[in-house]
Amino acid sequence: MNYPRGMNEAATAPPVGSLLADPHPDGQATQEDASASGSLGWLGDHRGPLTVTDNFAVLDDPVEQQEFTQFSEVDGRTTAESVLMVQGMYCAACADTVECALQDLPGVERAQVHAATRRLTLRWDPSQTTISSLARAVGRTGYRLLPMQQALSISERLHETRQALWRLFVAGFCAMQVMMYAWPAYITEPGEIPADIDQLLRWASWVLSLPVVFFASGPFFNSAWRDLKQGRVGMDTPVSIGILVTFLASSAATFDPSGIWGHEVWFDSLTMFVFFLLGGRYLELKARDRTAGALDSLMNRLPDVCERQIPAGSFVTVSIRRLVVGDVVRVQAGQAFPGDGDILSESATVDEALLTGESHPVTRAQGQGVVAGSFNLGGPVLVRIARLGRDTRFAQIVALMERASTEKPRLAVLADRIAAPFLVLVLLAAALAGFYWWQIDHTKALAVAVAVLIVTCPCALSLATPAAMLTSAGALARRGILVRRLQAFEALAGINAVVFDKTGTLTHDRLVLVDVRMREGVGREQALALAAALAAGSLHPVSRAIARSVPAEQAGETPFLTELAEVAGQGMQARRADGARVRLGSAAFCDARNTERSNDDSPRAFLADDQGWMATFELQEGLREDARDAVAALRAMGVRTWLLSGDRESAAMQVGRAVGVDHVIAGASPEQKLIEVAALQTQGMRLAMVGDGLNDGPVLARANTSFALGHAAPLAQAQSDYVIQGGEVMGVVLTLRQARSTLRIVRQNLLWAAVYNLVSVPLALAGWMPPWLAGLGMAGSSLLVIVNALRLASKATAGVPTITVGATSLV
Amino acid sequence: MDVLYLLIPISVLLVFAVMGVFWWALQAGQFDNIEREGERILRGD
Repeated sequence: MNYPRGMNEAATAPPVGSLLADPHPDGQATQEDASASGSLGWLGDHRGPLTVTDNFAVLDDPVEQQEFTQFSEVDGRTTAESVLMVQGMYCAACADTVECALQDLPGVERAQVHAATRRLTLRWDPSQTTISSLARAVGRTGYRLLPMQQALSISERLHETRQALWRLFVAGFCAMQVMMYAWPAYITEPGEIPADIDQLLRWASWVLSLPVVFFASGPFFNSAWRDLKQGRVGMDTPVSIGILVTFLASSAATFDPSGIWGHEVWFDSLTMFVFFLLGGRYLELKARDRTAGALDSLMNRLPDVCERQIPAGSFVTVSIRRLVVGDVVRVQAGQAFPGDGDILSESATVDEALLTGESHPVTRAQGQGVVAGSFNLGGPVLVRIARLGRDTRFAQIVALMERASTEKPRLAVLADRIAAPFLVLVLLAAALAGFYWWQIDHTKALAVAVAVLIVTCPCALSLATPAAMLTSAGALARRGILVRRLQAFEALAGINAVVFDKTGTLTHDRLVLVDVRMREGVGREQALALAAALAAGSLHPVSRAIARSVPAEQAGETPFLTELAEVAGQGMQARRADGARVRLGSAAFCDARNTERSNDDSPRAFLADDQGWMATFELQEGLREDARDAVAALRAMGVRTWLLSGDRESAAMQVGRAVGVDHVIAGASPEQKLIEVAALQTQGMRLAMVGDGLNDGPVLARANTSFALGHAAPLAQAQSDYVIQGGEVMGVVLTLRQARSTLRIVRQNLLWAAVYNLVSVPLALAGWMPPWLAGLGMAGSSLLVIVNALRLASKATAGVPTITVGATSLV
Repeated sequence: MDVLYLLIPISVLLVFAVMGVFWWALQAGQFDNIEREGERILRGD
């Protein structure tokens, strides 16, 4: 739209076309519109697959923006990072178009589009530009930027799928009918069909080819046209040329059989290869929905509305954007919690598969926290909201997944770089082949050139890596393991050693009772029962460990105690039924200083009555249940294990032996850990580091790849490549296995893409491949790559009873 | 044989008619969730 001119005309006699196409009929022409589109001329809004006339003001609304934008301050300058969905993308080449449209604009620091997920990560400067003006710039190239929430809404996707199916049907149905018209020509000798009937059949074929070329092939032309304007050769350029050339030559032959194009018609080939290509593309769309579906099922968990309590006590339904911290909301059975909060009701049964990957009911008592996005499985629950939106753990998970899924792994970048010159070569080869065959056989030249154009499939090449890695990331996310960088799959698949960064990664933070020593005449059961009764009144970790150590069936024999009280920092005391005072706590509190002492200082508690010391309880950090199995599984996979601990030698050795790691390095300070890791690496070890992701950033960063266990760490601060939210050590094994399969699938895909192109192009050049077979080959080739990648989705969940689906269907 | 002059144009029109019916079915949402249609009979509502 050329604004200055448009405005002048509007003042005198507005042309109808300009009014209709005017995105701002009220004359709110913005600066960006006038400057950036001036050179593009009047047709500016009529290009691309979409006519984008939105003014995107909604994207500037701060309330809306917090859903997809994160602001960060570096050197006193604020930068914003937004993740948006690009509507109207068909293939990898579109990603470049959008990136180019943004890169040179003022205020844009980085724009990266991920082709497989159609997500755009945009880093921009809020002081120089607004997101709506950037969206308008992208809109002018024929794509629409949508905020994630909106982009994922059902209606957008529904429309896209319907349109794809509709195009597929038109192409398929016309292709069938055109084939019927062409059939007589195949089975008869020349001259057997009366000339006028033959001509009638050609006209009929021509009429039915029109919707195939001008409607069904739309996506190919749109994307080829876009590339042409950018002066590039894209994935769809050869296909579009193929379609156009075939159609024009056949039309010429239909209406002027004596002309230069001869009298051969190719309507049957034309409609059929369009049908095959669209069929492949439709299945790809479906497959991509499934890949993205794993991420989307995470992201679409939050409800749109919730019931907020108003001061009068009753409930009103409000949008969750209207919630503020401190609100009390009622969450019905089967609904997701709108924010992180504390339970006000008696208790609640929730499903936290989001965090752990295990979809089983967890009971939370009054005052305990629930996280946004987890489901309420029991009756209605009242929750006081503590964190909302960006601050929730749920949002952190989503942001992390977003960032990972927009990243281009190294192998994908490489493939894209190969694809571009390859396409130019294909165009040249097609032209040469056409010219060569023209000399030999007029009738075959066109078919050969078109077959060469259609059969090449750089799509398979550029989809090979991201499709596989994304599927794996999605599958792992459903198991509660988050992947921060797709590139990390490559590093992880190549490791041969796992280093557990500290004892805590193999042990629980809760204590277990390991030994009891008693005064003569005091029974073990008796001492335990008494201690447990005292401990029951306290929340101290030691008390809880002692209380837990009494089996449930003995709980009935609890001694009767009165005047139970906690002495802060000391212990518990109470009066027994016989009037004697009993105490449980530190050595000083229980007068137990003279009792025997062992030289290690593991946590312990003492029990005393009026006659003094009764018993000593030795406690220890408990091993994680699956640590032993995980280490054994790692060894079976040919991976050596280290425990690199800052603890004392004895404690570290004990844990190391119990778990079965190959080597233990104890007493290492953070600096020493770095040195040890570097030393191992110079010995040819490729290391995966497992830590808590909080205090060990430098060590995690030094290792080839890293895991953070547990959800204690805020995700945004965790430094690792992988985050295992449930904290199971087994997650490391699962991820390693998944990474190895992923790389195997990536290699298969790349090999397939290379072999396919190497075999099919010479065949087409030699004239052994009719255009319809070329269409089938190309569609099948990119489909094979996607389907091969989808196998990874079932791998991660194989044999593990995950019922995430059951949980979501509650809603 | 002369009837072919009528039948061939009719077949072309028929194709367009069938596509019209499919378009209607598509817009009416009959293909939106094919998996779910089979389960619908099992659901109470």
